[in-house]
Amino acid sequence: MSKTDLIEKYFSNSLSPKEQLKFNELLHTDEKFKIELDFQKDLQKVIYRNQRNDLKKVLQNFEQHKPVVKLLNISKKWLVAASILLIVGLGYIFLKNDNYSSPDDLFVQNYEPYRNIVLPVARGATSNTIEQSAFVAYENGNYRKAINLFNSVPNKNDQYIQFYKAMCYMSLNKPKDAISLLKIITESDYNLNSGINFKELANWYLALAYLDLGEIERAKKQFSVIASDTDNVYKKEVSGKILKSLN
Amino acid sequence: MKQENSKNIIKLIRGGDQLVLRKIYDENREAFIKFSRKYNIEKYDAIDIYQDAIIVLYENIANGKISDLNSKVSTYLFAIGKYKIFQMHRDNSKVELTNEFFLEDENVYLDVNLYNEKLTNQQDLLNKYFSQLGNRCKEILKLFYYEGYTLDEIINILNYSDKKVLKSQKSRCMRQLKDWIKKEL
Repeated sequence: MSKTDLIEKYFSNSLSPKEQLKFNELLHTDEKFKIELDFQKDLQKVIYRNQRNDLKKVLQNFEQHKPVVKLLNISKKWLVAASILLIVGLGYIFLKNDNYSSPDDLFVQNYEPYRNIVLPVARGATSNTIEQSAFVAYENGNYRKAINLFNSVPNKNDQYIQFYKAMCYMSLNKPKDAISLLKIITESDYNLNSGINFKELANWYLALAYLDLGEIERAKKQFSVIASDTDNVYKKEVSGKILKSLN
Repeated sequence: MKQENSKNIIKLIRGGDQLVLRKIYDENREAFIKFSRKYNIEKYDAIDIYQDAIIVLYENIANGKISDLNSKVSTYLFAIGKYKIFQMHRDNSKVELTNEFFLEDENVYLDVNLYNEKLTNQQDLLNKYFSQLGNRCKEILKLFYYEGYTLDEIINILNYSDKKVLKSQKSRCMRQLKDWIKKEL
């Protein structure tokens, strides 16, 4: 084995015991060998410093753009979502007038599982974490699988996980299970850190879940919360309309 | 993090996946700041220490000291962080330490020292000239000396036809550095 190979193996931590002996011997007897090794060790140290500084900058960047990065990502999606809602909403008004009918119809007309805006699934990307797999399942409408996966993520008690789990239950026609999850979210404080107002979203879906369950009084109460709460923006107008047709 | 997931996390981190890093960073940040408060560490310093702990974690994953996350990521981060906090207190000797803290007691066996040593003359020069190398050279050297990949692995990562070509490329990069330094000395 050449001296170059020995040094290479040293850096890859793969010297065999026999090679290690040879390595040690050369270190004491071969001046050139030692100089070369020291040079490479110095180089390693310098690269470590460089990389550390780079990584530190990345982390400091995380720190500085903590909410902003997320909000930016979301706001674009929100814009798209908002414009879709507008188009759908306008079309809806033109086609439907506002002849809302039975609670069941209302539910069917209004319920749509909330989009995955937490971990958008890139096309063709492989899912590497449980959470990613869960969202892939969610996006594919594989709600039972998604629930199982959401139950096994390490942060399963996080608000957003709970929210999407509730979406799964609603889609599986299990409003009772959805309600118990959504209620907790609606009673929580708006968690600014997540950048997405899940409380507001939960308010809307909770109302729909009551509708689905046929609990009209509770549904009405919940829709009126949305329609009257000044802090609540999401689905405010629609809620007012539904409320009217329920009364 | 769950066990079955840890290999993937390591793979992603080694592959430079910043989303995973970001997620780990965000997931443990608040708790770490809270934890530091117990040791009279201001938020600003706590964040600095936390970032260093993340770097240590990253490097130990890169150099293969952690090949499988037996414990939760947070366990490592907090052990490293605690070590750094003790180190900081010892250096500033602001607080009387009632007992020493050893990482080994927490079952964490890692290299944790960062930034401490000053550079020698040769290292200074290397530092200066490393940045002047071509991207290809930088990439090879970075993968080998920092990320801890073997030459055989680098062949695949950088799409070399065989090891010989990679080896001669690497030695050309080194020769370049040596030539530049020689001129300075």
